[in-house]
Amino acid sequence: MADLTVSSNAFGSLSRSQYSAIVWMRFRILTNSIRSVQGAFEFSAKGVAFIIYSMMGIGLGIGLGGGAYGLVRNQEFQYLPALFWTVFLVWQVLPVALASFQEQFDISSLLRFPVSFGSFYLLSIAFGLVDVPAILGGICCLGIWTGVTLAMPSLWGWTALILAVYAVFNILLGRAVLAWVDRWLAKRRTREIVSALFLLLMLSMQLLNPALHEQRHSRHQHHGAAPSGQTVMDELPRWTKSVMAVEPWLPPGLAADGLLRIAESEKRLIFISLGGLGIYIVLAAAVLAIRLRAEYAGERLSEAPAARKRTAEDSKWLLDGSGPIAAVVEKELRIVPRSMPLLFAMGAPLLTVLVISSVLKNTNDTGHPFSWAFPLCVCYALLGFTQMIFNSLGSEGTGIQMLFLSPTPMRTVLLAKNLLHGALFCLVAFLAAVFATMRLGCPDATLAGTTAAWVLFAVPTNLAAGNLLSITMPYRVNLGRLSRQRGSQASALVSMLIQLLVIGCGLAVMELCAFFAQRWMAIPCLLVLAGISAVVWFRVLAHADSLANRNRENLIATLAKTE
Amino acid sequence: MEIAAIQTRGLTRTFGALTAVQGVTLTVASGQFFGFLGPNGAGKSTTIKMLTGLLGPTAGTIDILGKPFSAGALDLKRQIGVVPEGMALMGRLTAPEYLRFVGRMYGLERETVNRRTEELLEFMQLADERRKLITDFSHGMQKKLALAAAVIHGPRVLFLDEPFEGVDAIAAGMLKTMLQGMINRGATIFLTSHVLEIVERLCSHVAIIHEGRLVANGSIEDLRAGVASTLPGTESEQRLTLEEIFLSVIGAGSQESTQELSWLT
Repeated sequence: MADLTVSSNAFGSLSRSQYSAIVWMRFRILTNSIRSVQGAFEFSAKGVAFIIYSMMGIGLGIGLGGGAYGLVRNQEFQYLPALFWTVFLVWQVLPVALASFQEQFDISSLLRFPVSFGSFYLLSIAFGLVDVPAILGGICCLGIWTGVTLAMPSLWGWTALILAVYAVFNILLGRAVLAWVDRWLAKRRTREIVSALFLLLMLSMQLLNPALHEQRHSRHQHHGAAPSGQTVMDELPRWTKSVMAVEPWLPPGLAADGLLRIAESEKRLIFISLGGLGIYIVLAAAVLAIRLRAEYAGERLSEAPAARKRTAEDSKWLLDGSGPIAAVVEKELRIVPRSMPLLFAMGAPLLTVLVISSVLKNTNDTGHPFSWAFPLCVCYALLGFTQMIFNSLGSEGTGIQMLFLSPTPMRTVLLAKNLLHGALFCLVAFLAAVFATMRLGCPDATLAGTTAAWVLFAVPTNLAAGNLLSITMPYRVNLGRLSRQRGSQASALVSMLIQLLVIGCGLAVMELCAFFAQRWMAIPCLLVLAGISAVVWFRVLAHADSLANRNRENLIATLAKTE
Repeated sequence: MEIAAIQTRGLTRTFGALTAVQGVTLTVASGQFFGFLGPNGAGKSTTIKMLTGLLGPTAGTIDILGKPFSAGALDLKRQIGVVPEGMALMGRLTAPEYLRFVGRMYGLERETVNRRTEELLEFMQLADERRKLITDFSHGMQKKLALAAAVIHGPRVLFLDEPFEGVDAIAAGMLKTMLQGMINRGATIFLTSHVLEIVERLCSHVAIIHEGRLVANGSIEDLRAGVASTLPGTESEQRLTLEEIFLSVIGAGSQESTQELSWLT
């Protein structure tokens, strides 16, 4: 027992030995994972993805740095919060949208060891530090620091301090938000409420946006002149003015205010900004601590105690017919509403379409929107289905064994999934088209027809490639949580390449036909491509059984392994 | 001549340099309750995976109900039920949803699926947990559900990998009764378990696999007689339990620990 009587604080000898053990364990997992061909490919894909994300981050960092340089140089400090809000969005929104670089594992699995709460807290933060959002956020901060330093070299030290404090706040807030979201979404009832709120939000935004735009448009006509900066401020609704009044007291506003104080040499007031940020850090840390304390105490994210009453709905079938296609479709239909990642994947592009269409509309008030706007919106809706289609078996978990044990051929299972995914995509594409039409006006018949023909080409192409990737490059997906999600950079890269190819084909055909002033020709051309892709899809389905049988060991090992 | 329910010839499976199962040849007659025993890592689960199509053999053949079996033998798959090592459950479904899904995957009619689902939930004492997701079931409840799913289509051959692990005594008693009833109605059960008392009570025949090779195969009585004859000083062969037979066959009794873990209190 003498060996165990060591300090149990977060920096004690036991904790330090645990940290080194965990680092060693992660390193061994990494080296072991590249022993297999698939693991080595995955590792290489991660390297490529790292370079791509870094380039994106560097681009964003250069943009923010340039912005910071211009604003500080021209003494336009009032616009600095926009830069900090950008960093905030990168850090807080991306975690849900991107798969992690790290091979994720549930941190609570460490609780069977004598890990102190302090160590548990530190580890839960540390495990997100090399994620894409953190890397991008860090590069953005570096960009702002570089811009400010180049514009006013004397500010380098204080700027670094403010940005470091701001980064700590973002790290803690990101962790806290994801931890609580996972907790709330662990209950089915909450998931249903969140889904309903999500849909409501989308509809509200759809109604709100045109209303605001029309109000602004009518005022333009009334005044008969292009709006100046002050006029725009005057036109803003009252609630936005309230938000703007509060904004300086929010973290991005405080960070920007800190820079302003330094530039104006009001060093005493800098500490008000830093103190404000410090309060936000303490709050975020406390909110995270409450969640982690419960997890540390052994709480398991799970459903609320089951209701014991038997309800008539239990024996209802969503789809008639006893065939395996109906069975698989019904299973998927029951799982989708219970899975926030799937709902998010389907809903998020629609929200983005709203934003894109509004931006495109607002950049051109002449009534002649950008000619690609309509197909672009429909195209974008497809991206949300990428993971669902290209890793369609990923959510089966140990259930993949059942699919192999049953007398149903894998091609039937994949066909059923394809039919459902295709139908869901058509629904989302239709909604995206409706949203785009409402914001951008009705597209002409040729453009609408071309877009529809492209959809007919894109869907079977995606399904064919998706079936191949689902069988050969599967990865396990936990439908119960948004964070700590596993991912496969290899699969993500290949699927994005295929998406680019599909979109590129569509654009090339449209451009070519437009070049020869025969825009209508794009429709039959894309329909021919659609026919070819349908044949390919059928061929893939026909060979799905032999391919799945050849890969069944890898599929079962990957999807049924314990986390 | 009666058709064997399961017949393997030279069944072999290698993983790189490791041979997990080597040249296993065995026959399980129809209507037999067959116990497949072996120490950890002996190749039991690998064998079951090959027999059920979850893993392809490197060499050898498998016949189920007299027909060659492979992963694509869908007609044969309709006639077998399996509780695999990982239980093959789908965590985001409820128990009734999962059973209905499995029933439909086996091509059962709607009324049949609904009726059997209810009966199995009642029998397995899972009816009160019908609104809970499977991921939130205890291990024992998951095991009972996996068993229910394995029998919903009325299989003629049932493969069970550690079916009683984590199941409480009351449920275990009911399961034994259910399995015995299936045997009485002509089904064949291929069972692996580390609980040798249960195997001894249920099974008429056993095979023992050790380091990938079949080292014993036959009725318990035959094995008892065979082992008793090789053990000096055994007064009555009837006194040998299956555990003693097992330890004797794999030679574990002769392996004595050469060192003690003196630091254990």
